[in-house]
Amino acid sequence: MTLEPLEWALRANSADYCEIRLETRLTTRIVYHGQRLETVSTVVNEGGIVRALSHQGGWGLSTFNNQQDLANRVEQACHHARLVPRREIALAPHPVVIETLPAARPEASQRVTLEEQHALISRYNTILLGHPQIVDTSAMYIDRFVTVSYANSEGTRIIEERPMTEVMLGATARDGTNVQRSGDGSSSAMGHGALLELDELASSVARRARSLLSAETVVGGVYPVICDPRLAGVFVHEAFGHLSESDFVYTNPQAQEMMSLGRRFGGEQLNIVDDGTLEGERGTHRFDDEGTPTQRTPLVQKGILVGRLHSRETAGALGERATGNARATDFRYPPIVRMTNTFIEPQDRTLEQMLADVDLGVYACQAIGGMTMLENFSFSAGYGYMIRGGQVAELVKDVVLAGNLFSTLANIDAIGNDLTFSRTGNCGKGQGGGLPVGIGAPHIRIQDVAMGGRQA
Amino acid sequence: MTGQPNNVDRLLTGLESQAEQGEVYAIASESTAISFEAGELKSAQVDETSGVALRAIKQGRVGFTATSGHVDPELLVARAVDSARFGDPTDLTLPGPSRLDKVDTFDQSVADLAQERLVEIGKEIVERLRSADASGNIGVEIERTVARTELANSAGCTVTQRASALQISFSMERVRGDDVLMVGAATAATTLTDEYRALTERVAAHIQAANRPAEIASGRMPVLFSPSGSFVLWLPLLMALNGEHVQRGTSPLAHRLGESIVDAGLTLWDDPTVAGRPGSAACDDEGVPAQRKALIHQGVARSFLFDLKTAALAGTQSTGNGSRSLFSLPSPSAYNLVLEPGETTYAEMLAGISHGLLVHSLLGLGQGNPLSGAFSNPVGLAFVIENGEITGRVKDVTLAGNIYALLSAAPQLSQEREWVYGRYHLPHVLIPELDVVRG
Repeated sequence: MTLEPLEWALRANSADYCEIRLETRLTTRIVYHGQRLETVSTVVNEGGIVRALSHQGGWGLSTFNNQQDLANRVEQACHHARLVPRREIALAPHPVVIETLPAARPEASQRVTLEEQHALISRYNTILLGHPQIVDTSAMYIDRFVTVSYANSEGTRIIEERPMTEVMLGATARDGTNVQRSGDGSSSAMGHGALLELDELASSVARRARSLLSAETVVGGVYPVICDPRLAGVFVHEAFGHLSESDFVYTNPQAQEMMSLGRRFGGEQLNIVDDGTLEGERGTHRFDDEGTPTQRTPLVQKGILVGRLHSRETAGALGERATGNARATDFRYPPIVRMTNTFIEPQDRTLEQMLADVDLGVYACQAIGGMTMLENFSFSAGYGYMIRGGQVAELVKDVVLAGNLFSTLANIDAIGNDLTFSRTGNCGKGQGGGLPVGIGAPHIRIQDVAMGGRQA
Repeated sequence: MTGQPNNVDRLLTGLESQAEQGEVYAIASESTAISFEAGELKSAQVDETSGVALRAIKQGRVGFTATSGHVDPELLVARAVDSARFGDPTDLTLPGPSRLDKVDTFDQSVADLAQERLVEIGKEIVERLRSADASGNIGVEIERTVARTELANSAGCTVTQRASALQISFSMERVRGDDVLMVGAATAATTLTDEYRALTERVAAHIQAANRPAEIASGRMPVLFSPSGSFVLWLPLLMALNGEHVQRGTSPLAHRLGESIVDAGLTLWDDPTVAGRPGSAACDDEGVPAQRKALIHQGVARSFLFDLKTAALAGTQSTGNGSRSLFSLPSPSAYNLVLEPGETTYAEMLAGISHGLLVHSLLGLGQGNPLSGAFSNPVGLAFVIENGEITGRVKDVTLAGNIYALLSAAPQLSQEREWVYGRYHLPHVLIPELDVVRG
């Protein structure tokens, strides 16, 4: 892999700033549904994006599959940048870097055959199918190897390999018209070798789908809720993380005021951090998709808002430093402000201590997903248990938490000592499904959470 | 448009020499997009897409590969045939040639639309929303696309389809203290219509109505869903009617064709023949003719959505609903969904509610277990209705229920219908009793 074609093409740049990102995305998928092996395929998605910024205009973009003829793409992007009426856009400065970052996979994982990959996912699928009342399964092995080459008109040159291997397991249990699903998975940039011991995970997925058949829908109401680390992680991503992305505030003075640094959001024990440098997590990279080094960015310290996430453009607009959070789902999209690995720092409480003073509440576990409309958000637990008299009681289903950012963060009254990062998790944000992000948290307890459900 | 880098005929010949059945699917598209941020034009973009997908069927086993890059045709054929070593046998027969009805999917005037015209439309939307509230942060995205797909298989079917599309979406965020309002809408058509104007008017009206806050206590109450808000009710049905879930036995409607599943007032069509809609087509992505059909007729389940594979596994015929993107095998999907209107007007429905909610959007659609029909979603944009009048915007309330129960308990549909996301033609829906929880 050489950057010569990119450097050559950048000579056609007539704008004030220009960058080229080329990607080759090689994806192998092996998919079981029930007894059937549905798909074994290898596909190659190749393409790129040129982004040009003109001080006489705005952003011009060109995306494409055909990587030939890059100089024309650069001219096209520059031409489009000038079509935009003049706007004040100043990119925050960042250091010029020249780096080659090969995948850190062990060699054994590089050499794994399709037969070995198939044997592994087939084994997990057999475990799922081995449980009673399981009418359908979904067992997916996805190996993705992305090679990114990046060059910009300031001299930054990066070649990076981004591997990610994922196993996603789902089970559907059915009893008449009662259909219940459960799922979980794992992933690793280290490849196949890191995913060999998921037998117990597969069993737990099947057992849970089956036990949800006899669970009642949670009774609607307002409860103290203890979230497990997975759900608490989704909560901090959805409820708070998206608001700390500066593209929400940088053109909106009222939003800046609402999210002004120094404002109190939670109690003394609440610390929230975004950190793209953590070893081996899903959102970890040396550089973001603008070539800015990633970093640890404290967002909330002792309950006070202290930081926010930036691209070069949002940092430039607000006179702050770029934080390495400009990320793109793939070459069809320009980089925008995204989270890397976002988490709540652990404190000293154990789960038992948190349960002990809850008379009637919900222990909400696992996450199906979440969505935010900034102030208001929704997130769906995979399942939950009622808490009665300080004890975990019966299993309940259809556990969906609704909340308001300001009251909910303030209502976190206990933070556990067991920080855990999830091995699954993608973020959408207007760019199609899947940008891998790290989400982490310990167990947390939130008072007064609204939950839709059946009438008592 | 750039030329197709891969020769469809040559690839098909290659597949035919090594497998019993073969299929080549090629796409090429070109689009122009503009984007407004904070009410101002921010970027202009061009996108070119091209690629080819190969399906080989050997000893009943399906092999697949796809690429958007430059791959040697022989290697591509070998990869598709090789991946057919795996997989379970399916009794799948690719369709031969068929006579296709003419359906309007391409409009040269959209293909010719100048970028300047897209910018004018964007400015018009910005101006209208600004006049509703000058303090809001307005975003607009407009994209015009021309696409060509080419399908050829070993049974002699060859279909080339051209489509144009104009997609318009816009949004406004308004922050007042700690009060956030996010509203937006999206529309799409194969031709340039002024639908976006009516849509902008509606959103502008929502922005103004949301100026007044209102409160409501928890309880069971009538809930009136606008066409876009009603999507929560149809999503579980669409999933349950999908042949994928039917064939796997995970659909609550499996084996229930001919049975009454919802109120007799409900008739739902899958209609590929409507002119100018993004879901319109003469045939599906596997070469099977598209057909207009009732999925639910007067409350009775009448048809599922099948592609070739799910139909083969269910022991039936494809309903012509095979849909695919470049990088995946086909799967069943609806074209345009059209719900028959009711007899009451929207105004009459509203006037008849003494204490309830009007819901335009919900958060977290499709999360949870939608296949079961259960939902639990906080409202995005919703208003309180008192004595037939909208009193103000309500936040922090969650709706929960099961659509099979709710759609069986005398739901009412309005006479008026709107196109939602360009391809769902839906009336307003009044659910007489729904659980509402105040957070």
